[in-house]
Amino acid sequence: MATPVLRVENIVKRFVTGSASITAVDHVSFTVAQGEVLAIIGPSGCGKSTLFNVIGGLAGSDEGRVIVEGRTLSGPDPAIGMVFQEESTFPWRTVADNVAFPLEVAGVARTERLKRVHHYLELVGLKGFEQHHPAQLSGGMRQRVAIARTLAFGPKVLLMDEPFAALDEQTRLLLGDKVLQIQQALAQTTLLITHSIAEAVQLSDRVLVMTYRPGRVKRIVDIKLPRPRTAEIIGSKDFGLYVAEIWNDLRDEASLGMKDAEAKLPQAE
Amino acid sequence: MAAEGLMISRVALLRLAIIASTLLFWEALAESGLLFRDVVPSLFKIAHALGHLGANADFYANLSATAVEVGVSLAIGGSVGVAVGLLLGGSRLMGRAFEPYIHYLGPTPKIIFFPVMIMWFGIGPGSKIAMGAISCFFPVALITAAGMRQIDQVLIRVGRSFRASTWQMVTKIYFPALRHPLLNGLRLGFGVSVIGVLLAETKLSNRGLGFMVMQSYSQFDMPGMYALLLVVFSLAIMVNSLVSQLGGLEVPNH
Ligand SMILES: Nc1ncnc2c1ncn2[C@@H]1O[C@H](COP(=O)(O)OP(=O)(O)OP(=O)(O)O)[C@@H](O)[C@H]1O
Ligand SMILES: [Mg+2]
Repeated sequence: MATPVLRVENIVKRFVTGSASITAVDHVSFTVAQGEVLAIIGPSGCGKSTLFNVIGGLAGSDEGRVIVEGRTLSGPDPAIGMVFQEESTFPWRTVADNVAFPLEVAGVARTERLKRVHHYLELVGLKGFEQHHPAQLSGGMRQRVAIARTLAFGPKVLLMDEPFAALDEQTRLLLGDKVLQIQQALAQTTLLITHSIAEAVQLSDRVLVMTYRPGRVKRIVDIKLPRPRTAEIIGSKDFGLYVAEIWNDLRDEASLGMKDAEAKLPQAE
Repeated sequence: MAAEGLMISRVALLRLAIIASTLLFWEALAESGLLFRDVVPSLFKIAHALGHLGANADFYANLSATAVEVGVSLAIGGSVGVAVGLLLGGSRLMGRAFEPYIHYLGPTPKIIFFPVMIMWFGIGPGSKIAMGAISCFFPVALITAAGMRQIDQVLIRVGRSFRASTWQMVTKIYFPALRHPLLNGLRLGFGVSVIGVLLAETKLSNRGLGFMVMQSYSQFDMPGMYALLLVVFSLAIMVNSLVSQLGGLEVPNH
């Protein structure tokens, strides 16, 4: 692989609640190469969002560094564009003005702003919806607005935390296809955090499997499926093999997480 | 839909009936002679007094004095209230430390501050503005602080991830996200600053509508007093519906 664009080195993040201290992320290191898609997968509560916030600069870490093209980052940085798991469009702004937001903040001149907004809305397939408000769109469309907005920021690395989690299955598949298309068109270096094994295999070049608590790197799986990819690949034999292989790694971690969750429930007789 | 329309026209009819019967009752009471002269003056006398008011240059001078006092007190009390509300709602520490004071001071009658305000600002418009501003400050601060806590946190994180400055966060995210509470605060703040200003004017002053009301009262010009009260009442309703309309121009929330 080419030289890494993103280098995550030995990130450790602990949370102190009262007297207890839990290590959410424990010495996580990996790199992402130019134009590569790396998926991070792990059971609920393993520290994925924590890692997302640290890499995006919204939270500090106790140890370790985040480096983009040789530069160590401190805080939110133009090199990283974040897409959030939750509904994150501004309800009071039109679609076009939502996408224009990062450009306004950066002081980009109006004509240039309009040009870029147009470009990214076309890319995510929302041409014609410029003057709509988010409330008038479906959930999948709103998430596309959020993705266009982050792309308009012009980041070196696109960082997404379960961007499809709030959507229904069919919308998720279609949006996955769309993201794949966009990523290929822009050769966008991407870090995708996900719950879904199929999504990880479909979209990424490598899949990083995390352990459950403390969140460590369990294994990184190379996905050697041909590119350009479409949703059709889901039917192929190799695809199934990758899914099975990753599930094998993930099963123990997921069941650990489930036991934890069950232990928190009130006991029956 | 037809049933809906019928319902609305029935409501309108009932409302008209309430107004009509109130007026009738009033007029009957006035004519009955049961009460002391002019305590309840005839509607015709009030209408006559209203006509007089409209032709009275003094009335307009007093009206504009009160309007200026209310406007300035709303601007001062409102902007300080918004600033304090942003601070209390934005910082957990500040909120927990200071909000109880505002919470308990809020409902106390502000008129107790009036003597102090007279000492500080004199008996002119200064003390009236101070009273209006104090009255307006509390609800605006509390509503803004509560609104701050309701803001969708992910929107704040979006702003931070795009490296918005503090100023940009305030103008591009906090204010638009707070548009409903801010409008509500404006409406409530307006109501209480009118109360604060008028109350102060009736206590000690030499101009303003409150002053005029007390003047009519001391001359036992009851029709004139009721005419003034009607004017104040209608103006308050007008401004209130104006502010509500401002809120009506809103885009839907998702
Ligand atoms: N602010 C916080 N204070 C204390 N503990 C926290 C905090 N944020 C996260 N944690 C804990 O850190 C662990 C990792 O949380 P995180 O949200 O990163 O998990 P996740 O992998 O994103 O889960 P999910 O898949 O459900 O989104 C969890 O045990 C969580 O309870
Ligand atoms: Mg998460």
